[in-house]
Amino acid sequence: MWNRWLRNAERQPTQDAIIHWRVEGPPIRWTFSELMDAAEICAVNLMENGIMRGEVCALILRHHPWFYPLYLGCVRLGAIPAILAYPNPRLHPDKFRQGLIGMSQRSGLDWILTERDLEPVIQELAGGADNTIKGVHFPLEWDSRHTPGSETITKLNQMHNRISASDPLLLQHSSGTTGLQKPVMLSHLSVQEHIDRYAIALGLDHNDKIASWLPLYHDMGLIAAFHLPLALGIPSIQINPFEWVMAPSLLLDAVSKERATVSWLPNFALDMMADKIREEDLRDINLESWRMIVNCSEPVRYESHQKFRKRFQPYGLMPASLSTCYAMAETTFAVTQSTPETEPAVLAVDRTALSRGKVEISIDERNARICVSSGTPISGCDVRIVDDACRDLPEGMVGEFAIRSASMFDGYRNYPEKTAEVLRDGWYFSGDLGFKYGPDYFVVGRIKDIIIVAGNNIYPEDVEAAISAVSGVLPGRVVAFGQEQSELGTERLCVMVETELTDATGQKRLRMEILKAGMAIDVTIGSIYLVAPRFLIKSSAGKLSRQANKDRIGMIPDLLAQQGRTGL
Amino acid sequence: MISAELKATILAAINLDDWEIDDDTVASQVPGWDSLTHVNVIAAVEERFGVLFGIPDVVALRKIGDLQRLLDSKLQHKGK
Repeated sequence: MWNRWLRNAERQPTQDAIIHWRVEGPPIRWTFSELMDAAEICAVNLMENGIMRGEVCALILRHHPWFYPLYLGCVRLGAIPAILAYPNPRLHPDKFRQGLIGMSQRSGLDWILTERDLEPVIQELAGGADNTIKGVHFPLEWDSRHTPGSETITKLNQMHNRISASDPLLLQHSSGTTGLQKPVMLSHLSVQEHIDRYAIALGLDHNDKIASWLPLYHDMGLIAAFHLPLALGIPSIQINPFEWVMAPSLLLDAVSKERATVSWLPNFALDMMADKIREEDLRDINLESWRMIVNCSEPVRYESHQKFRKRFQPYGLMPASLSTCYAMAETTFAVTQSTPETEPAVLAVDRTALSRGKVEISIDERNARICVSSGTPISGCDVRIVDDACRDLPEGMVGEFAIRSASMFDGYRNYPEKTAEVLRDGWYFSGDLGFKYGPDYFVVGRIKDIIIVAGNNIYPEDVEAAISAVSGVLPGRVVAFGQEQSELGTERLCVMVETELTDATGQKRLRMEILKAGMAIDVTIGSIYLVAPRFLIKSSAGKLSRQANKDRIGMIPDLLAQQGRTGL
Repeated sequence: MISAELKATILAAINLDDWEIDDDTVASQVPGWDSLTHVNVIAAVEERFGVLFGIPDVVALRKIGDLQRLLDSKLQHKGK
């Protein structure tokens, strides 16, 4: 991968590689040659700090212009970068440390590269008996003008020359706590293969420019909005995700000023931008250059597309620029993609038939679900829709997506039992439900109970374990699930909790403690349903059933059903 | 010192009856104040007090005390 970046720098040294966006002041521009020179310095610094080829480096850094050369520097050395989210202040430090220890035990985390602010939280981990962490470094304090001697360069080159295309390039971690993290290791070959094939599906060329606010610990941010443009030699604009959340118009500002052409967004972002951006912030905005806005990482909602088009067409948005993609880290990224600059196919299907696994075109608007196509398989990807017994289902029947990809991961790192659950005979069983109709694939639900809130995957097991420990909750008698929140274009995290408390004051206090327990693991609980002992029902396997209990919300006795948005 | 009016506006925007808020509280320490609702809180404060915050002002906010100071300065300018 390094050599490919180097070729880009040789061919177009003065071309912008990364435009590091800032709210105040002009953006910081890394040209391809400047970026590679800086990455070389970072690689030398990494090596001189003891970091070796094949070692996993967790990068825990906020939006900073030196993040990019540092990441590239790891690759130059043959070390394996793993970008992790910088901890939110509400996340309890113990939970953050537990996550790192769990990650270390699973993936063999070797080094942590972070900011001085995290030193008190992290430093004690290094060298601990319960983890593999060898040391913590603060690379933003390293000498950015460091000139290495020839001996150092020779050693670096020797290390670099031992890297082969099948070696790991990067490590991504799914969300979830220790037991649930699924580390996905991707090779140089898989990522390059994917980039080339996906670029064709998107019709990318040298006139394109990517604009993104996506966090780089997320596969959509890392692969689509960072690796892809860098390898193709086209610029990307990187906006601070925390700033985008506070001012969603920043993306439009960047697209307009830089004449950006392509962005990836999770569905909720379309709603947020359409609903929350003030007219005052749209002065002088021109979106004519924005040829593709790829909706990905959350279920695609037709209403969100309609709302977004309506709001931004007056500012030059082309209706056909909204596009869709079905993607996952296990296949590097994209599996299907809709045709560029063409509105994705839309089907109105009968909800009742769909719940029984059949696709019937609806003529009754009131009982219709509008499904938006996620497009057709990209080159190198084969898709099957299968039933419980892995038999292929005909077109128009709902089943699980099984995928075979030229850029498939090799399995979860050091997690053979989890790998065996999802990877069989070269096919990845995604746990997502959908159907094929004509050439298009539609995603309509999930087999697994994962909850997706604003593009982030939340494992119900994590939430249930945290809530179960709250005093007043009957231990183990908690279920967590997602509920559609159509006004925000995403899901809301809900918990149903058994308690013996019946008085209003006690219940109010309990709700508060449940909210705090959620915050300590960095999740916002949207609704709390308190129920009496033995209300929750189990599945035939003897476990509390999330779906069956979710379906019983309407049966909660009035006395206990006083739930509000935050339940207070 | 966070004014009772600002506190009430924030809590109403995130549907919370009560929560201890002081100068050093950061948004993510308040239940329900997260990435999805942040813009609602800012919009609610703007509407309640009849002010308009600039984007650089909003992204520079680190804690609720910063929001109170920003609001106070806007109100002072408005009063002139």
